[in-house]
Amino acid sequence: MELEDVMYNNSEYIETASGNKVSRLSVLCGSQNIVINGKTIIMTDCVIRGDLANVRIGRHCVISKKAVIRPPFKKFSKGVAFFPLHIGDHVLIGEDSIVNAAQIGSFVHIGKHCIIGRRCVLKDCCAIADYTVLPPETVVPPFTLFSGSPGRATGELPECTQDLMVDVTMSYYQSFKPVGKSK
Amino acid sequence: MASTRNPTSVKIAPGAVVCDESEIFGDVTIATRTVVHPKAKIIAEAGPIIIGENNIIEELTQIVNRTTEKGGNQTVMIIGNNNVFEVGSYVESLKIGDHNVVEAKAHVGRQVELTSGCIIGAACSITSSEVMQENTVIYGADCSRRVQREKPPAQALQIDFLTKILPNYHYLKKPSKAATPQRT
Repeated sequence: MELEDVMYNNSEYIETASGNKVSRLSVLCGSQNIVINGKTIIMTDCVIRGDLANVRIGRHCVISKKAVIRPPFKKFSKGVAFFPLHIGDHVLIGEDSIVNAAQIGSFVHIGKHCIIGRRCVLKDCCAIADYTVLPPETVVPPFTLFSGSPGRATGELPECTQDLMVDVTMSYYQSFKPVGKSK
Repeated sequence: MASTRNPTSVKIAPGAVVCDESEIFGDVTIATRTVVHPKAKIIAEAGPIIIGENNIIEELTQIVNRTTEKGGNQTVMIIGNNNVFEVGSYVESLKIGDHNVVEAKAHVGRQVELTSGCIIGAACSITSSEVMQENTVIYGADCSRRVQREKPPAQALQIDFLTKILPNYHYLKKPSKAATPQRT
């Protein structure tokens, strides 16, 4: 299936040498702690909290509008710590979702308006339906679909999930086209 | 909104960490050791908002003292101590006690009064007209409720950590000199 072209205003986005497209209207706190590996799109009004801990985002990810990526926090007997957050390759994060996970594998689809609780672990090739609320410390195994509030396993994904996610993120990147002049 | 902007009426006590990227309008008082993350919104439209000590207000939270259609009387919004407002929560409640937790994307309406130790779960919406019993927990897709035995733990350690780390990365709003009330 061909995706429809998504046009964006060229002056609104910055394209880096490695092909990342980052909106000027996104909020990247502590940008020295944020690593984005390439060909990733970060849309308007996203918040990425690199000031709390390191955030590493893989290649060919799409972070949609108003999403919040925030390293999780854990209390120990002495002191507290924010854990670094790793996101794999080919991950799609829907609009208005809040991601507090400790780790997100590759080929993961997170729907719109989701809340991924503190220190959740999302393994490779899993999916989270729209409006899901995952409680803290949930582990989502590979090839499962989680939905509801609190999130529960409600389905399985086909073996070709990896190829599907590669396809969809690659074609999203290709159909995400600029219009107008760059600054 | 821009017309009501009056930055001089924002009173920040020394020891509070209020990021400059947060939006604060109107008559807002923030007591010491409260942490306001960037992109939080505190809007005092209908009257002053008074925020106590040791609160954490995370990004995209909206705390609004909204003018009702009737208008008229000024209303004061009071938030106690040791509360946590998580990412993307929306609070209009005029009276919030101590040790409450409003989780991510929760919505607390204007007529609700949170006493103390209440937890409003993620994505739950409460817009009824009532006073929450102490230690009420609201959870799940249907906003079911129960009463728990103990208060949620204080977040003092997290506040310590944030007060250390946030000034390294963000510009802060300066504490106002006028407001130095010392508790006796």
